[in-house]
Amino acid sequence: MEPAGPAANTIATLWWVMLAGATAIFVLVTVLLALGFRSKEAAGDEKRQERSWIIGLGLLFPSTVLLALLGYGLWVGERLLPRDGPDLVQVQAEGRRWEWIFGYGDLPAVRTLNVLHIPAGRPVDVAITTSDVIHSFWVPRLAGKLDAIPGHVNVLRIEASQPGTYEGRSAEYSGVGYDHHGFTVIAHDAAGWQNFLESGR
Amino acid sequence: MTSVLSILVSPLLWLALFSGIYGLQGLSCELDLDTTTFAGISAARALLGAAWLAAIALQATLLAALHAGRFSPEGAFVRWISRATGWTGLVATIWTLFPVAVTSTCG
Amino acid sequence: MNTLARHRRLTRIWSSEPGWKGWFSTVNHNDVGRMFLVTSFFYFVVAGVLAMLIRAQLATPHSAFVGPEIYNQLFTMHGTIMMFLFAIPTFEGLAIYLLPKMLGTRDLAYPRLTAYGYWCYFFGGGMLVFSMLAGIAPDGGWFMYPPLTSKLYSPGINTDFWLIGITFVEISAICAAVEFTVSILKYRAPGMSLSKMPIFAWYALVTSLMILTGFPPLILGSVLLELERAFGFPFFQVDLGGDSLLWQHLFWLFGHPEVYIIFLPAAGVISTILPVMSSTTLLGYRWVVAAAVGLAFLSFGLWVHHMFTTGIPHMGLAFFSAASTLVAVPTGIQVFAWIGTIWKGKPQLKLPMLHILGFFLTFVIGGLTGVMVAVVPFDWQVHDTAFVTAHLHYVLFGGFVFPILAGIYYWLPLMTGRKRFFRLGEIAFALIFVGFHVTFLAMHWVGLLGQRRRISTYAPEDGWTTINLISSVGGFILAFGLALVLVEVALQVVTRHRTKRNFWNSGSLEWAMMMPPPAYTFASLPQVKDRDPLWHERLLPVQIARGEGYLGDPVGDRRESMTVEIATGAPDFHLIYPTNTRLPIFFSAVTGLFFLSMLVKLYWFAPIALVGMAAVAWRWVWVLGQKEDLGPQPVGRGLQLSNAAEVDRSPGWWGSLFLLVANATFFGSLLFGFAFLWTVAPGWPPPVFIEPSLLAVAIGVGSGVLAAIGTFAAIRSNRRGASPTFGLLLALAGALGVAATFVFTILRMPNPTEHAYGATMLVMGSYGLFHAIVVLLMVSFLFARMRAGFLSAARRAEPAIVNLWALYLAAITTLILVAINLPGLVA
Repeated sequence: MEPAGPAANTIATLWWVMLAGATAIFVLVTVLLALGFRSKEAAGDEKRQERSWIIGLGLLFPSTVLLALLGYGLWVGERLLPRDGPDLVQVQAEGRRWEWIFGYGDLPAVRTLNVLHIPAGRPVDVAITTSDVIHSFWVPRLAGKLDAIPGHVNVLRIEASQPGTYEGRSAEYSGVGYDHHGFTVIAHDAAGWQNFLESGR
Repeated sequence: MTSVLSILVSPLLWLALFSGIYGLQGLSCELDLDTTTFAGISAARALLGAAWLAAIALQATLLAALHAGRFSPEGAFVRWISRATGWTGLVATIWTLFPVAVTSTCG
Repeated sequence: MNTLARHRRLTRIWSSEPGWKGWFSTVNHNDVGRMFLVTSFFYFVVAGVLAMLIRAQLATPHSAFVGPEIYNQLFTMHGTIMMFLFAIPTFEGLAIYLLPKMLGTRDLAYPRLTAYGYWCYFFGGGMLVFSMLAGIAPDGGWFMYPPLTSKLYSPGINTDFWLIGITFVEISAICAAVEFTVSILKYRAPGMSLSKMPIFAWYALVTSLMILTGFPPLILGSVLLELERAFGFPFFQVDLGGDSLLWQHLFWLFGHPEVYIIFLPAAGVISTILPVMSSTTLLGYRWVVAAAVGLAFLSFGLWVHHMFTTGIPHMGLAFFSAASTLVAVPTGIQVFAWIGTIWKGKPQLKLPMLHILGFFLTFVIGGLTGVMVAVVPFDWQVHDTAFVTAHLHYVLFGGFVFPILAGIYYWLPLMTGRKRFFRLGEIAFALIFVGFHVTFLAMHWVGLLGQRRRISTYAPEDGWTTINLISSVGGFILAFGLALVLVEVALQVVTRHRTKRNFWNSGSLEWAMMMPPPAYTFASLPQVKDRDPLWHERLLPVQIARGEGYLGDPVGDRRESMTVEIATGAPDFHLIYPTNTRLPIFFSAVTGLFFLSMLVKLYWFAPIALVGMAAVAWRWVWVLGQKEDLGPQPVGRGLQLSNAAEVDRSPGWWGSLFLLVANATFFGSLLFGFAFLWTVAPGWPPPVFIEPSLLAVAIGVGSGVLAAIGTFAAIRSNRRGASPTFGLLLALAGALGVAATFVFTILRMPNPTEHAYGATMLVMGSYGLFHAIVVLLMVSFLFARMRAGFLSAARRAEPAIVNLWALYLAAITTLILVAINLPGLVA
């Protein structure tokens, strides 16, 4: 995971927070299990044990942790949704076995095969469709994935912080050619993007 | 059979309410209710919020009835379990449907 | 009668036929349970070998071991076999074998159905094995997403093997679920109230109810997809008004509960074994019961979390994300109740306990990564990567295989009467534990690095080479450990190293019999006063063997048992089981012919097979019952009970009730599919509606109500001792009226291949017609029974059963006719 865009960044932070929390809980459970094997005196009051183990550790502890996590996750999810902005770029991605065809809102006549050009540092909305089976559009370093489903148009917000080349993959199993079903995203700096637009016209 | 039903009734109601409100959300997006707004609140959110509150009220009523022994299940054990699942139903209704109040409706 | 004479007499009555021929005619749960377990572990080995082939392929980059065509079959079959032919049947086998023993009764509710379920599993599994040997196995991934699996993109027969074979196997799951539900609710030892029931029975009850409501959506999905493939009904074709998302909803409506259907029985095994290993009782029994019930329901609110990347609005996702986090709470309650039990008692590190510790360490990680993928944005990143593959293996191996291994080592002394001789189990456990974690921790990691699931190869530049190699090595260590387990089990079966009774000093009733268990299970049924009877009544096994409980004195050749009231455990009625018969294997073979005719596209033969099934089913019920009143039957200890034929709510009534629950879920899923296509699929509303006919609605609904009223009238007059002929004639007329209405409606439907609307309408109409014919046959059956003298004022069980089906017919007829005619009326 080397995030290279705001969406992927946010998700990476989310992962590290969750990993830390999960490790702590795992250690807690392991320690409790190990302590269970101490030799011990006569058993205590069962009602009290029920209260501390089941109500305390079983009910209240996970509820608190999970509510916090759920709130955090929903807040992150809201932030990643595509919203209107002033410098938004629109592109289209159409998956088919086993290639991707990209179209550009600013250049209706241009189509590119397996290479998607975007400007760096600007939010890009990718309208994802398919002409055959289900595919999934995924550029791991830029954002999460979204499926291409027959008859539906799904919009994914991506953004590359830095110019560069990013690998994209189709992430929904689609038959024998699935292994190599990928594409490349080229994020241009402002001048490069201008060049791309002009060469297209 | 009444004892089994008294255990299952609250979670069953949650399942119905959960699916119902999920369906209502899909429908209100289909009908573009999220674009009509009154006083800053979209019609979709008002509708879903009202449905959520009604659902909570319904579960709470059921729980009260279970506590009052309205379904007269036989034995303390079944009564205890049916109250526990009654609380599960109420908490699940609040917890799983609270997104109607906070997240964007159709985005 | 002394103890030995009783043992001999009961053994003669309850035994299956001697020799291998006995396998084909046995209906005894002792036999069928073991047959299930042996078969399911055969499939465990098969799917394990497939897993090894997958790991061999992925061990090195640019591997030329197998090509993608074969690889796709490998992973599809690995998942399919593990889920449908190993995990679920293992639960069925274990529960079939153990439930009657734990509940203190002699057999499950419907012995012939137990055997029928086994043979459906056997033949259906055989179809899939055949497809694999022939190299034409399904290759669409275990969740079979259309349109990849539609005729256009998967023209071969591979997909049909999956849809038809799995549906055939699912019959056995539905049969088992109906049987367990009724058995747990009604077939217990006298005195065993719900609060005194062994915890495993609670888990099995919850699991069974989940199968009844979780499997029908998948069965419907399979039926629709096969109809599309076979006849071009476009349910999932977007250009003709279908939607491939419908499959995903139906599949995961089943698929998520499925995970808990697999986990809950394992949790039941842990809740049973862990306290015994700690010489104490389970902490918070009632909390655990409530948590299991809560978990079961919440798991039905999770299905969309498998579809977070399909573009559903964020609020929709948020509902399911919230439910997915909430479901961890009841899981937490159970985990901490178990740890609290260890603290409460004096735990001993015997072999089953080692596997339980393996469960804890593995399952907790699986649960934690599960919470992670329940968080929507994180799932957007890792969905369909090796991270998810690793997560699900932590959940399923941790939450199912470890507990089942614990269970095998725990109950093997009971099953064989022998104990372990060589100490292979400890070494095997170490290999399994280390091998598993090496394999799948590595897989989490490579998933985070971006390796997608289901790829057959990768490039060295991807940087995954070392991790994949580590993972593959771990996989082979794991396989070696599991092989050692099988070797040890085989050794224990063949060596003669007899063991003492009640090997682990457990408190539950399955240890109150000789080992291995006799064919009749209990020589007499105990009166239960306690949740752990063997701890409080040391002499109970002896009293049972001496016939001091109920039904200790066999009458003739009858296989006798008795039932209880659901909540209190007070004795309810007496019953006589059917004995050894080849009817189950024959019935499932005829059922298999129907599925086979669909598979090889001999469609003209399918109706013939259906008629054959109806004929065998007729025979199936005909051989039950009596031609004269039995009156109150003595069951021992001075108690007399009515026979099952002479009560209002007989075993058949209870079974029909729960079968109808599954049936109603199927119908509900169909209505959901209609509503879903209407609101979500592009291309709706359809170009033409069926021309609405108020007359058809009136006649159809009226006839449905008439059929129900007729059966009520038949029940009333039969109970008064009068002839039920008039009521039966009314019911017959009603069923005929419903059938005619549906035929009339179907004839006026638009072409089902042109739009998903027409296809959906045809399926609904056919569903109604099918049930009208079923009720027609049932009423005719009652006529025949009346004429043959099987009905009397006392023998009143059968009309009550038909009444249930007639009521169901009336309800669905109304709903279907409204669904068919309303859109046209509104438009």
